[in-house]
Amino acid sequence: MSGDSPSGEGIDIKCVGLTKTFRDFWMRPRVRAVEGVDLEIRRGEVFGLLGPNGSGKSTTIKMLLGLLAPTRGRIAVLGRSPRDVATKKHVGYLPEESYLYRFLSARETLDYYGRLFRMPARMRRQRVDKLLEMVGLDAVEHRPVGEFSKGMQRRVGLAQSLINDPQLLILDEPTSGMDPVAARQIKNLIAELGSRGKTVLLCTHQLSDVEDLCGRMAIMYGGRVQAAGTCDELLARSDRTSIETPLLPVGVVDEVRGVLGRHGIDEITIEQPRRRLESLFLEVVEQARAAGTHTSGARSGGPMAAFLQEHATESESAVEAITDADASPRDKAAPAVDTNLIDSLTRR
Amino acid sequence: MTATPLMPRRHGSAWRRAALAAAWTFGIAAVGFGVAFLLDAQGGAGLATAVRVATGLTCLATASHGMFLQADQLSAWRTTAVFLSAAVGGPALAEVAARLGGAAVGLPLVLLGSGTSVWWTWRSFRRAPQLRGLATSLAATLGALACVWFLNRHGRPLEATGLLGVTGMAVGCAAGLAVIRRVLSYPSGIAAVARAAVDEAVRMRAALVLLVLLVVMVPTLPLILDIDERLEYRVQFLLSWALGGTGLILALLTILMSCGSICGDIDSFRIHMTLTKPLPRWQYVLGKWLGIMAFNLLLVALAGVGTYTFTRLLARTTATDPEDRDAVDRQVLTARVAREPSPKNPSEYEAAIAEATARLERDEPDYFARNRAAVRQQVRFDFRWQWHTVSPDMVSTFVFHDLAEAKRRGVPLQLQLKPRVNNVDVDLAEVRFALWLNGRPWPVRDGDHQDQVLASNAAHVIELPAEEVDDEGRLEITIANRNLVPAGETRPTAISFSPGDGMRLYFRAGGFTANFLRCLLVMWLKLGLVAAAAVAAATMLGFPTAVLLSLVVYATAAGSGFLRDAQGEYNVVADTPLAAVLERLSAAADLAGQARLYEAWRMLLGFVGDAVLAVVPAFSDYDAVSQLATGLAISTSTVAACCGWLGLLYPLVFGLIGWAALARRDLLPSST
Repeated sequence: MSGDSPSGEGIDIKCVGLTKTFRDFWMRPRVRAVEGVDLEIRRGEVFGLLGPNGSGKSTTIKMLLGLLAPTRGRIAVLGRSPRDVATKKHVGYLPEESYLYRFLSARETLDYYGRLFRMPARMRRQRVDKLLEMVGLDAVEHRPVGEFSKGMQRRVGLAQSLINDPQLLILDEPTSGMDPVAARQIKNLIAELGSRGKTVLLCTHQLSDVEDLCGRMAIMYGGRVQAAGTCDELLARSDRTSIETPLLPVGVVDEVRGVLGRHGIDEITIEQPRRRLESLFLEVVEQARAAGTHTSGARSGGPMAAFLQEHATESESAVEAITDADASPRDKAAPAVDTNLIDSLTRR
Repeated sequence: MTATPLMPRRHGSAWRRAALAAAWTFGIAAVGFGVAFLLDAQGGAGLATAVRVATGLTCLATASHGMFLQADQLSAWRTTAVFLSAAVGGPALAEVAARLGGAAVGLPLVLLGSGTSVWWTWRSFRRAPQLRGLATSLAATLGALACVWFLNRHGRPLEATGLLGVTGMAVGCAAGLAVIRRVLSYPSGIAAVARAAVDEAVRMRAALVLLVLLVVMVPTLPLILDIDERLEYRVQFLLSWALGGTGLILALLTILMSCGSICGDIDSFRIHMTLTKPLPRWQYVLGKWLGIMAFNLLLVALAGVGTYTFTRLLARTTATDPEDRDAVDRQVLTARVAREPSPKNPSEYEAAIAEATARLERDEPDYFARNRAAVRQQVRFDFRWQWHTVSPDMVSTFVFHDLAEAKRRGVPLQLQLKPRVNNVDVDLAEVRFALWLNGRPWPVRDGDHQDQVLASNAAHVIELPAEEVDDEGRLEITIANRNLVPAGETRPTAISFSPGDGMRLYFRAGGFTANFLRCLLVMWLKLGLVAAAAVAAATMLGFPTAVLLSLVVYATAAGSGFLRDAQGEYNVVADTPLAAVLERLSAAADLAGQARLYEAWRMLLGFVGDAVLAVVPAFSDYDAVSQLATGLAISTSTVAACCGWLGLLYPLVFGLIGWAALARRDLLPSST
């Protein structure tokens, strides 16, 4: 994908010529998972990374997170190396599966990740309370995570990815294993975060998720980016027109056909649209909940945690004060982008 | 989307309830026992006992009620009533049954009562999982104490002590764990990783098996010892087996925990969640090591408390004879310093060795030129034996230095001798000799210089008065051979004391408790090395391979003394490392030239042995357990050296290797 922001300002992820070759024990090249990928993701956008299984999406993400070392190519995340501890302070990551300590409870799990950010106990407790409520696990917070269903574990995973109120959120298959209600909540959350200036990299098979949420996307296959651009660019069909109206009487339909026929248009499909299954499902569950039906599983998530709604809030400043005592005031508001690094990457 | 909590939040009120229950319990106890004390003082003993029993029961009821109040959706009084009827009713019923039909009838009842109260607590707390473990542990402790009470009452003090020991160790383990978790809740990445490692270790099944083994082994060892054996040996056996076994079990546990924790994180991708947080990789490695070491500290302390208690209890049992009792108190449960003898005139002794070496060089130049260092060593060895041998009708003098402390303390000196008589090929032959201390005959009774008569090939301890030591802290011991002439011989046989353990002088330089603590510290530091090796291995290898490599490192460190001996005849003696290499190569070439290829190959393999022994530290250099069991003081310098090498330097090197491996590798399972 070619960069269309030449100055490098406001770019949260930039990678150029990213290549990853896995080697065997004898250091012989075995699999080339990613080859020559160029990506540029701007601040505040929700970006979709699409592709079939084995197309190199997860490998790309792991390189962006510093978990894998690229064989070739360069990466800048929030203007720094992805391995830099200062970068990781502002990144949230939800892996494709929730890899949690099975013996820790939901609360202990979030507390553990909070301590990795060196958050003081009081702030940790407040955030954990809010996040548990947000993902609907506050009633089962003391149960070991190992006893949770896959969807409930995903909720814990999502909560931990937000504990530091990240500027950049990397979500690998965020809705997999979740029921449609939870999936819709997560999609709402992603849209909300995007509208509040957070950058979200969404990696998924769920094409509808990308269509609903992402401003831009890239489609990978065979370790390469095959297509990239805004959703409108990629999805708009310039050779077709569709018209949607309230229910039309049969006579009116015939009239419309006639009008279009007079203009020489014969290829006409007029049908009554079906509801989307998702909206039906959400309605049924909402009715059951309103009737007070008991459930022992996860409940619906609560409202978005307050600390995620604040923009450069006091709490964030407090984390900064602890984790980055000597950072400049500009750093405290949001991670600074090293424009020189971005420029050098662009020039290569 | 609004959240309607299913259960009320309990964080604030739980502590308040617990504090209230505790305050009530203490208040009732203070009033009740205070009244009982006053009644007792007024002569109303019977009434005082009744008040004490009533107060105890009321306290138990209040505490139980407070405990069950913590579990939500529960009628606390009803639950308390069931709990008390099992926990108190069981022992009471058992006591009645035991009086009617004997202890064997009562025992199942007290067990049943305890078991029921534990089960009831576990069941009652199913809706408050965060407190379930704590409440059940409290009930189990109470049940165990009831059993101890019953066993003690019905003539089974040994079983009662064993059960009390197991209970104490379990309670200590739980309390220690709570303290460690509290300390590690400090908001830092290293502490977070360390605490997760501790939590993981606690829940590891292999760890649990080894832990149970440890908790069961220590209290049961005194029970399986042969009661007819000398108490001295039984105490030594308990000390060396309990602590040696603990060392082995904890080393295995450490390897499993370290490798399991890191390989588990990598194989299950949990490490992706951890290392995408602002945690440098060295902090991850350090955190894991610290967590394992914190857990080990708890286990070493646990095993230490158990071993110490049972050693003291065992030492209080009846000894076979007064000499045995004396040996336990003065040679085992103490911290003695050992002194080796030196020649009366060192310069003459060295000159004699030099002269003998020069003579050999002159007379047999070919033999000498083959390996000078080895010949010199052999001459020195021969001289040492010669000096330790007292010929018939001859006297030998042995000088012991640095005894000023013994004189100052006024503690008796213990001369340990293990005499051998030459030409008599039987054990326990009679050895007869006379002693002079600093030139004065000793002992003298009724004006006669008494001979010492000992059995050969057995260790004997002769106590010498400390006041015989001179002001410079020197004691000269002169020995004259007074052996009788054996049948069929014309001369008496010579007496020899093998250099090393054949003749030593000991004196008490400290207490057993402090020595025991030093021994535990050394054990813990050794585990530090094992943990660091295992952590380093786990950062670069898969679980089975990492465990195997760590076991090799541990086995090499633990068996280094044996490995040095096993090199045996293939060891080379040389003055410098380079000369040693050249000597080994030339020896291998000689052997190959004589077509002794297998031996030549083994000689070359010695390089591998030397390299391994040079890289892996030797645990035998810090053999604290055998020192403790033989009543030898573990010196501060040994502890400091152990701390520096095994606790800091080697872990640092292994840690750096682990960090370098983790920093370079892709964080994928090693099979991928």
